[in-house]
Amino acid sequence: MKAILSILRKEFLQLRRDPKLFPVIFLSPVLQLLLLGYAANLDVKNVPSVVCDMDRSAASRRLIDEYLNSGTFTVAARVERLAEIDRYLDNGRAAMALVIPRGFGGDVAAGRTASMMLIADGSESQSASIGVSYGTMIAARHNQRLILERLELVRGLGPAPVLVEAEVRVWYNPELRSRNFMVPGVLGLILMIMTTVLASIGIVREREAGTMEQLIVTPIRPVQLIGGKLLPFVVIGLIDATFVIAVARGLFGVPVRGSVPLLFGLSLAFMLNTLGVGLFVSTISRTQQQAMLTSLFFILPQIMLSGFVFPIENMPKLFQAVTTVVPLRYFFVIIRGIMLKGAGWRHLWPQAAALLVLGTLILTLSVARFQKKLD
Amino acid sequence: MPEPSIVVRSLTKRFGGFTAVDAVSFDVRRGAIFGFLGANGAGKSTTIRMLCGLLDPTSGTATVGGFDVGREPERIKRVIGYMSQKFSLYEDLTVLENIRFFGGVYGLPSKVLQARLPWVLELAGLNGRERSLTRTLSAGWKQRLALGCAVLHEPEIVFLDEPTGGVDPASRRRFWELINGLSERGVTVFVTTHYLDEAEYCNDIRLIHAGRIVAGGGPRELKAEIIRHPILEVATDRPVDALEVLRREPWVLETSIFGAALHVGVADEAEGRRLILARLAREGIVPDRVDRIVPSLEDVFIRKIEEQA
Amino acid sequence: MKAPPRAFIGPVMRKEVRQIRRDTRSLVFMLLLPAFLLIVFGLALNFDIKHVPLAVVDLEGSRLSRGLVEKFRTTEYFDVKATLDRTGDIDDLMAREKIKAALVIPPTFSEDLLAGRSPSVQFLLDGANAMSGTTAAGYAAAILQSYAQRTTLEALERRGAGGATLPLATQVRVWYNPELKSARFLLPGLMAFILMVILTTSTAFSIVREKERGTMEQLAVSPLPASALIVGKLVPYVLISLASAHLVLGLGGVLFGVGVKGSYLLLLLGMVLFLVAGLGQGLLISAVTRTQQVAFLLSVLTTILPTFILSGFVFPIRNMPAVVQAVTYLVPARHFLVVLRSVILKGAGLPAFWEQMLLLAAFAASTLALSVVMLRRGEGRGPRRRAGRAA
Repeated sequence: MKAILSILRKEFLQLRRDPKLFPVIFLSPVLQLLLLGYAANLDVKNVPSVVCDMDRSAASRRLIDEYLNSGTFTVAARVERLAEIDRYLDNGRAAMALVIPRGFGGDVAAGRTASMMLIADGSESQSASIGVSYGTMIAARHNQRLILERLELVRGLGPAPVLVEAEVRVWYNPELRSRNFMVPGVLGLILMIMTTVLASIGIVREREAGTMEQLIVTPIRPVQLIGGKLLPFVVIGLIDATFVIAVARGLFGVPVRGSVPLLFGLSLAFMLNTLGVGLFVSTISRTQQQAMLTSLFFILPQIMLSGFVFPIENMPKLFQAVTTVVPLRYFFVIIRGIMLKGAGWRHLWPQAAALLVLGTLILTLSVARFQKKLD
Repeated sequence: MPEPSIVVRSLTKRFGGFTAVDAVSFDVRRGAIFGFLGANGAGKSTTIRMLCGLLDPTSGTATVGGFDVGREPERIKRVIGYMSQKFSLYEDLTVLENIRFFGGVYGLPSKVLQARLPWVLELAGLNGRERSLTRTLSAGWKQRLALGCAVLHEPEIVFLDEPTGGVDPASRRRFWELINGLSERGVTVFVTTHYLDEAEYCNDIRLIHAGRIVAGGGPRELKAEIIRHPILEVATDRPVDALEVLRREPWVLETSIFGAALHVGVADEAEGRRLILARLAREGIVPDRVDRIVPSLEDVFIRKIEEQA
Repeated sequence: MKAPPRAFIGPVMRKEVRQIRRDTRSLVFMLLLPAFLLIVFGLALNFDIKHVPLAVVDLEGSRLSRGLVEKFRTTEYFDVKATLDRTGDIDDLMAREKIKAALVIPPTFSEDLLAGRSPSVQFLLDGANAMSGTTAAGYAAAILQSYAQRTTLEALERRGAGGATLPLATQVRVWYNPELKSARFLLPGLMAFILMVILTTSTAFSIVREKERGTMEQLAVSPLPASALIVGKLVPYVLISLASAHLVLGLGGVLFGVGVKGSYLLLLLGMVLFLVAGLGQGLLISAVTRTQQVAFLLSVLTTILPTFILSGFVFPIRNMPAVVQAVTYLVPARHFLVVLRSVILKGAGLPAFWEQMLLLAAFAASTLALSVVMLRRGEGRGPRRRAGRAA
């Protein structure tokens, strides 16, 4: 016990000696959260659009008004000819274009099918697909209205047709704010990055400095040595988590509906994994540079395959299978569950179990690999 | 006779195809200052690292303090202190923090540690600098602090790997006084060095060359045993020319340069002196003096290596 | 006579190249990790929202309500994971992430429909992920609308009014990416993201490692100018990362069918500017830090999340508050992404992205210049100096 305490004390002293480490460890998560909390906004609003009305009829103006009043689109430019649209899309000043061909009004009046065209900039991620789906929805609503109007004329025959519109109820995040989803994600990411990186370097650093040699000749047991080295990072992780949750709640109004002790408890289970990976990296690396590049090899795929932004159910089956060994995946369900859904142990035990099993595995493997030897 | 502190039998370490230590055997008496001498790369550090449990031997056996290095390395670690060649304390901790840390790692109760602290500070001569960051200390101080940390837990055996490398002569002398002090208290000291003059401080010596032990014994016996003929020191301002001339003479048994002087081995002192003066005079070299000297360990060493080659 | 700085670049470069070559694993990672990540991410990720897990609560169970459920069953946008009898069970399934949405059809569905009242169909949505939530709600609305449209048209037809044609037909054209293929959306963003992270971390060590090992002190007392040190360290990494970037580009073409539509030379120019910018960021980090630990944390923290979120890769920049939009100018990946999309997907020429090229060049130049200044000021040149000041 005494040996662990000595290592612990030494680690904290060393952390304190590096004046630049503290701001990096404690300030940067908050800074990141601030920036990203404000930036992470997927709500498709004000998509700049080029309007090309070649018909200039009452019917075309009505459709355009409906399009613009939806709140999703704004006018970037009004043009006369199709060829002019290129310019705006090429340099990104507009992301969509609405084209109404000549004869539109005439077709509508005559009861023929009138056509319109939506053009989207397909190079810019989701704005395009979401923009297109909003655009087509507006068109569909317009359609329905035209049908109903036409129906007015032949009223009185049989049952009246109706609109079937769903009453949409959004749970957990009624205003559908992207922030509520991303901010808990940032918490998971920061916890993972901090602890994995610090742990991966911790031991390699002593090897590089030669101090490991002095530790190995002492009677300290590997478990004591590792425990003493990793515990400070657990403390750092928990402090970071506290900061991030405080900012998320205080500044961004992200709710914490579930139990905070449960959140911290499961964060510990998550850190078993991140520290285990870090330790594993340090057992297979000779220099700090190697340790860092190797830990990137573990960190980056975890971020992308965890459901941080890209939903897991959309991945090919093979990769869905791969994600079952990604601890961050389970932790995301846990944080988002506790913060947004008020989920409790009853709901989250499978994720907790997965974290414990994976964490124990990787940590045991690393401790076993760690030898009190030089070669 | 008490059991030796360290018993080494046919200890061998190979790194790939390279044999760093080749079937080395020796015993180290309890309380001895055991000197392990050799050039850089001769296999000194590898041997020490095997004895401390840092490296596994390829073959052979060794016991340290009665424990087997292959089977009980962790028990060995309780009875030894180790100071590596490269300074390996924490540079970003203060003197006091380093001492306390190692005290904790060795599991010293705080009372004992409290009592040992002044002793270590005194030993290292660091009184008044307890709160200095270790990296700000000079090399000599660092070495003494490292020694202090290595003997903090009062080990029976201390391994010192090149303890005086890169340290100025005055500090080196002080350091050897410390080692003597330890030995007087009954601690076995296993020390490696490539400064041959330091071997004079040891009571038992092994010379290692290319992984093999080439000679061994106390400094006096070693000299007496190996160097049976007189050695004359020829002081001259043209040592290189003198060496070139003398080494071709059949009556010269061995030659080597030591600074501005030449060491020449001859069969008989008076005869040798006469022959040297005559031969050098023909080349126009007039030595400042020619004296018989007690052979140093360096002479022994050079001789042994020449024999091997 | 003093030798000009460029005379010193050669020796520094040779030393760097030798050191890089000795550390095989790091070299392999710098060269191949981006390609590996691109393959994994390119295959695994997409922005499509499909197969949203759905629970259906059909409280009526009539022919009409089953018809509506069938519509949800046959679309690829939803996967019906559960059919429930009570709305009360939805809560639990959603909290356990078994489902992301639920469709509730009221017991009066057919009755309302036949009586000409709008039935109150409910669509319950897990809004935690706003992005997929919004999209799923859109799909549901579209399905319901087409269901309503069909019933309406059927009614119209029964009355012999107007026939079954829709009054408005919408043609959708997606430019630059006609099939709305996710790979085309994703690849430029992934390339910028992966390269940025690897670039910055590879140089983040280069100077601080020498400080930690004490070799910096040796360099500091030599007549080697800071600028030569920076350039000499930079050049080998530019070459390595140029190779790595081409590998990534080639993979994009061969594996994901995203070839370069525009001018290769312009792309090359943009790429070099971006690479130097990323490496420059790493060098700057290296110049201002004292330990590799801090350098690495900084380089990871300033690249992973900012590049992911502030570059326009995932989140549209125009949605961000003005202050955050201003910050995005400091993210080189943002500018490179515009260049990549313009050249690779749109085949556009320099007029479309000259500003971004200038901004990249400015970023690269200022990080390098700042690194030189920091080195000259001896910012943490050796730990010894700092400690001396502190004591």
